Amino acid sequence: MRQPKIIIVGGGLAGLMATIRVAEAGVPVDLFSIVPVKRSHSVCAQGGINAAKNTKGEGDSTWKHFDDSIYGGDFLANQTLVKRMCEAAPGIIDLLDRMGVMFNRTPEGLLDYRRFGGTLYNRTAFAGATTGQQLLYALDEQVRRHEADGKVRKYEGWTFLSAVLDDAGVCRGICGMDLKSMEVKVFPADAVIFCTGGVGAVFGRSTNSVVCTGSAQAALFQQGVDYANGEFIQVHPTAIPGEDKLRLMSESARGEGGRVWVPRKPGDTRPAKSIPDAERFYFLEEWYPKYGNLVPRDIATRAIHRVVFQEKLGLAGQQAVYLDLTHIPRETLDRKLEGILEIYEKFLGVDPREEPMKVFPAMHYTMGGIWVNNEDQATNVPGIYAAGECDYQYHGANRLGANSLVSCIFGGGIAGPAAVKYAKNLEKGSESADPAIFERERKRQAAMNDALIKQDGSENPVTIWKEMGDVMSEHVTVTRYNKNLELADGKLQALAARFKKINLSDRTQWSNQTLNFTRELGNMLVLARVMTLGALARNESRGAHYKPDYPDRDDANFLKTTRAKWVNGEIKLTYEAVDTSHIPPRPRRYDVAQ
Amino acid sequence: MSAKVFRPDRSYLLRKLHSLSGIVPVGAFLAEHFWSNSTVLVSISKYNETSRELQTIPFRIFAEALMIWLPILYHGCYGIHIWMRGKSNVSDYPWVGNWLYTLQRATGLVAFVYIGWHVYAERFLTHGKSTYGDMERTLQNPYALAFMAVGIVASSFHFGIGIWNFLCKWGLTATVQAQRAAGRLGVLVGLAFSLVGILILVSFRLNWHPFEFYIK
Amino acid sequence: MADKKKVIVRVKRQAGPKQEARWEEFALDWRPSMNVIIALRDIAENPLTRDGQKTTPVSYDSNCLEEICGSCAMVINGKARMACSALIDDLEQPIRIEPLSKFPVVRDLAVDRQFMFESLKRVHAWVPIDGTYDLGEGPRVSPETQEKGYPLSNCITCGSCLEVCPQVNEKNPFIGAAIISQVRLFNMHPTGAMHARERLEALMGPGGIADCANAQNCVQACPKGIPLTESIAEVNRQVWKQALFGWLLG
Repeated sequence: MRQPKIIIVGGGLAGLMATIRVAEAGVPVDLFSIVPVKRSHSVCAQGGINAAKNTKGEGDSTWKHFDDSIYGGDFLANQTLVKRMCEAAPGIIDLLDRMGVMFNRTPEGLLDYRRFGGTLYNRTAFAGATTGQQLLYALDEQVRRHEADGKVRKYEGWTFLSAVLDDAGVCRGICGMDLKSMEVKVFPADAVIFCTGGVGAVFGRSTNSVVCTGSAQAALFQQGVDYANGEFIQVHPTAIPGEDKLRLMSESARGEGGRVWVPRKPGDTRPAKSIPDAERFYFLEEWYPKYGNLVPRDIATRAIHRVVFQEKLGLAGQQAVYLDLTHIPRETLDRKLEGILEIYEKFLGVDPREEPMKVFPAMHYTMGGIWVNNEDQATNVPGIYAAGECDYQYHGANRLGANSLVSCIFGGGIAGPAAVKYAKNLEKGSESADPAIFERERKRQAAMNDALIKQDGSENPVTIWKEMGDVMSEHVTVTRYNKNLELADGKLQALAARFKKINLSDRTQWSNQTLNFTRELGNMLVLARVMTLGALARNESRGAHYKPDYPDRDDANFLKTTRAKWVNGEIKLTYEAVDTSHIPPRPRRYDVAQ
Repeated sequence: MSAKVFRPDRSYLLRKLHSLSGIVPVGAFLAEHFWSNSTVLVSISKYNETSRELQTIPFRIFAEALMIWLPILYHGCYGIHIWMRGKSNVSDYPWVGNWLYTLQRATGLVAFVYIGWHVYAERFLTHGKSTYGDMERTLQNPYALAFMAVGIVASSFHFGIGIWNFLCKWGLTATVQAQRAAGRLGVLVGLAFSLVGILILVSFRLNWHPFEFYIK
Repeated sequence: MADKKKVIVRVKRQAGPKQEARWEEFALDWRPSMNVIIALRDIAENPLTRDGQKTTPVSYDSNCLEEICGSCAMVINGKARMACSALIDDLEQPIRIEPLSKFPVVRDLAVDRQFMFESLKRVHAWVPIDGTYDLGEGPRVSPETQEKGYPLSNCITCGSCLEVCPQVNEKNPFIGAAIISQVRLFNMHPTGAMHARERLEALMGPGGIADCANAQNCVQACPKGIPLTESIAEVNRQVWKQALFGWLLG
């Protein structure tokens, strides 16, 4: 029998899980990643991973996890897959536990669980405050084991440029670039799984890593792979502002009892500790007594914006609020939150065990992503699969805290076997594809590089990127107005025109990071427009998408998935129904009981 | 997996043997040597008596070769091999442990050269019958005296730091606190051995026997 | 503009693995809470040296910018450290930035740390599970073991411990503290412990644990504060016991 071959692009949690599943099926895998997979962005996830194991006698169940996820996502998520994911979550925790993840333990030696945003149950397993790092390493180790056995071949330090599609529109492999030698090369495969993560760089500064550009998604989009719900961008309520990055301050800080507040008096400049309790405004606890500091992220973010911009209560007039842990014993903090508290201490030189932290919302996660079917992570292009943050499933209009890790592992876990099944059922594999299609794609990509290298313009890629980030952060995050979105789209088109006059300032052919960044930037500019146009068209407020001019959820007109298509070089928005077959939509309110 | 026949790696064994030989027998011999030589602090006759006793043990040549010369030769030569493979960076990273690392190499080399000369002068030139008089004559030469002082201090600290290294490298002190204590112990041993060694030199040079009152 | 506070940065440049290294000096505009990454981005945005010469943006590895991915280790003012957490205001000027010296340079500040990943393979740094299908819960682990193991699993493979180790150099391919510490971690896990022997045997080979000479620089340089010297001592004990009793008793 013909031995199929699978390529996986991206080595974060989803990509590694898919790799393991394919290798386990006995099918050879080529794993491509820009950075060594152990340095992927999943490493940044802090708080934990959700699974309704009900170990605390609270009566939690996978159905409640499912309901919380759908409700938290404001009913935009396709329910059948979310239900499957929540049912699979306890098994995923068991698997990770068997892989040796150093989860925190109870005195009995069982896994400990803590509470996270958007739920009333302790259902988040955690390993200190670096759960993503621990999970990524566990999967990285398993992949390394398969690599040592010769089942996996890693291409670290390679970037994805494009898919190789045959004349029937079927994916037959990929075209990649070695970031050292800058060589452009094609790799045949029967199926390709994309696990290329988030899009933070589109917003300039975010909580995402440098490689989270969305470039692969955008490249695929321009080859006919649909992109769904791009307008749903999660802004995390608590991040540490910085010029190079907005460093996340995990929800677990609130899960462990952290309280968010501002002084009641505007412009109060007294030291935080000297302000008596009566003069502190614990606005989340006052406005949302049931969930308190653990309301979902979109709600907390908007509350902080309201306090800072409308009520003018930002700390000393700045864009910041307090996240206070000082009432919690130092020893507890060190045991459960040390990793994130160290980040604060290191980058600001202030000990958060002694002084309340100053935080502000930051772009954090994209709920939207590559369109995949409601079954097995297949995209609309045969042979192309997607999983992890880069797909659009599981989180609807807003993701619950600690649901991303589980969705990555679940999505990657089903994408792997699905790709294997598809590849095995192919009548003719990539080996019998016309060699001309590979050469055609390689030449096209090499020509794009040559053009950029030779181009003699006046624009700097970093400058264009920063301007794009400013436009997106200002107009396409927390609060959206149609006139601003139109303005943003205009600016994005202007930036795309300026992009054509870019000057690389590095024309060498060895490890040219500027060339790679510029290619990514070109793709980001397209993705930015997909998000902006999606937001512009959605005249309602749902989950993370909030328009003051349309403050309510509008199920009659917008209980539907935005599905962007690339038609003749233009972005075209289409819509399709959401799977609501299990839980009928109901109003989403966190100020009263559900 | 089938049970494989276990064969420890050769370079590992050589390296471990180097570490062990520094304590036993070389370190142990150093302690013994200081102990028996310190009899000079009592009296000349006690020293000569002790020397004669050691010079007249049965199978002397074998005992010397197997317990002293070969181990020192191995420890020294393999030590130089190790030294050649390391690259001190104490100027960039002037941390205590790094100083000790650098010091261990310097003292080791000095001690090795010194021991070579010492054995030649006191064991071979005297045909294995060295007496107080031989030592006294040697030490009349100020260069010999200075070299001996340097050699004694180098050997002492090499042994002291070696104890610290040994305890860490064999995992007998694992926690940070235990390793810190082992470091202090090592420095203390270095100081104590140096002190006793220098006193012995002074004793030979000045004909000074502070514990002579024991036998008076 | 002229009286704006400047940051003077000297970067060791190298166009490729075999090219000569040279220094370039840059004068950048100072801003509050600036770090070395921001400085390198400033250079990318305006690639002009201090004396106005046109140059190329500096190549370097970076990703998370919060000291958890391990990418951006470099030698800053003579010390191995992570660029993202190296705040400009804490550094003496002119700030000297060099690539790690114990790994092959790819270009400028970017180096190839594949040696470390290969070493992880060599020591079988994983818990060998039967498969990803549902086999129930993992073994119970005491909170005490978790509290010991968790710090070890924080290792970001940045290479700082190899960079500062006098025993790691072109003549001596010592595996380094990070990998030895991983062996301790996996030998600690109930399932991992079943396969401790293969890891210990791997550490006996050339460049293995015996090459550690106890300079203890690793623990000083580790950006994650991992108790590396404890790990080395602990694994040393496991290895010689394996060597001795494995040979004596089988």
